[in-house]
Amino acid sequence: MIPFRVSFEPGVSLFEQVVYAAKKSLISGQIQPGEKFPSVRALSQALKINPNTAHKVVNQLVAEGLLAVYPGVGTVAARRQPSTARERALLLSRELEQLVVEAMKLHMELDDVMRALEDHWRRLKPAKEET
Amino acid sequence: MTPVIATHRLARRFGRSDAVDDVSLSVEAGSIYGFLGPNGAGKTTTIKLLMNILEPSRGNASVLGVDSRQLAPADFARIGYVSENQKLPQWMTVPRFLSYCRAFYPTWDERLEQDLLRRLDLPARKNLKSLSRGMRMKAALVSSIAYRPKLLVLDEPFSGLDPLVRDELMDCILGMSAETDWTVFISSHDLAEIESVASHIGYIDQGRLRFSEELPSLQARFREVQVNGVAHREAPWPKDWIRPSATGTVTRFVVSRYSEETTPAEIRALFPACETWEARPMSLREIFVALAGNHKGGAA
Repeated sequence: MIPFRVSFEPGVSLFEQVVYAAKKSLISGQIQPGEKFPSVRALSQALKINPNTAHKVVNQLVAEGLLAVYPGVGTVAARRQPSTARERALLLSRELEQLVVEAMKLHMELDDVMRALEDHWRRLKPAKEET
Repeated sequence: MTPVIATHRLARRFGRSDAVDDVSLSVEAGSIYGFLGPNGAGKTTTIKLLMNILEPSRGNASVLGVDSRQLAPADFARIGYVSENQKLPQWMTVPRFLSYCRAFYPTWDERLEQDLLRRLDLPARKNLKSLSRGMRMKAALVSSIAYRPKLLVLDEPFSGLDPLVRDELMDCILGMSAETDWTVFISSHDLAEIESVASHIGYIDQGRLRFSEELPSLQARFREVQVNGVAHREAPWPKDWIRPSATGTVTRFVVSRYSEETTPAEIRALFPACETWEARPMSLREIFVALAGNHKGGAA
């Protein structure tokens, strides 16, 4: 088993989709620093993707400092500074873009979208945390 | 680097029809090449030409650097080949069958054989005749992988198998791909299966190769475009826009050479009155449906 999920969107670069999913799990803390990251082989088999793609994904995450390679141990989630609000916001950029596009198609104004967003937020977030 | 498979204007005629016609393709070392096309498109004939089971009527093919007509046992010891309707010695058990194969291959790896048998859960005592189709396919795969071939050729390996067996076979192939340096050539009419695994895609239809390219570039150049707010537009259409259809004020078509630089301007030029338009990435399946409905154009 691998510690994150990818529901593949057809036609979109697999590499980008897997990198995105892995990053989300690393930055959100689903994979803790020091924890082992799946091997190329495990990634390839679990996600049914070409091993070369899996290899590229691992390299990309290493290059971005999210993973560290220790000879003899393997690849582990790197110790890193706590993620900033900006980094976390970046993780949602895809969903946000989608939301904006859909809203524009419906000719909604920014204010309407903000209000709708706020409604949802309040509905899901327990009241006591509001303060 | 010499390609692992290269064909030049390869053709094979049966009577009056060209089963394979003018196919020139090249498969790079290390790739997983998905050879796709509808039933009867010429996939199996092409593979038989590559494996020297059939002789070309015209053109030629080379496999591992050897002309396909010259392929000898020593070459086949470096090639694994599994076909959909493989003839297996039905009276043998799996271990008996494998030890029979072992003798032909100097590079046979018994540890790998044992490992594969365990992973694929193959029974030791039953003879091949009494095994399910899936089990027989697994046995055939083990017999073609255990000698660590440089090239694995699979002709419709998954057809008629249940999803669980397909997954096991695919895991097995991907596992080998992760650890060895080989090339896989796999024909299929099942697109979803190949989409995430292949590095390259070739598409054959009516004996002709429509394209052969890296999967990411294929995914990047096909877009389904929807234009909103204008009535249907009559021809002429750009040659690489296919399958136009329209209802009311929505027009939809497939762009086979989409480019962020030029296509948006083309769309605005042809639909000056459109309110909005959007371009959506397409799955392999959608791409092929679009192409299949566009035989005559051949615009891909």
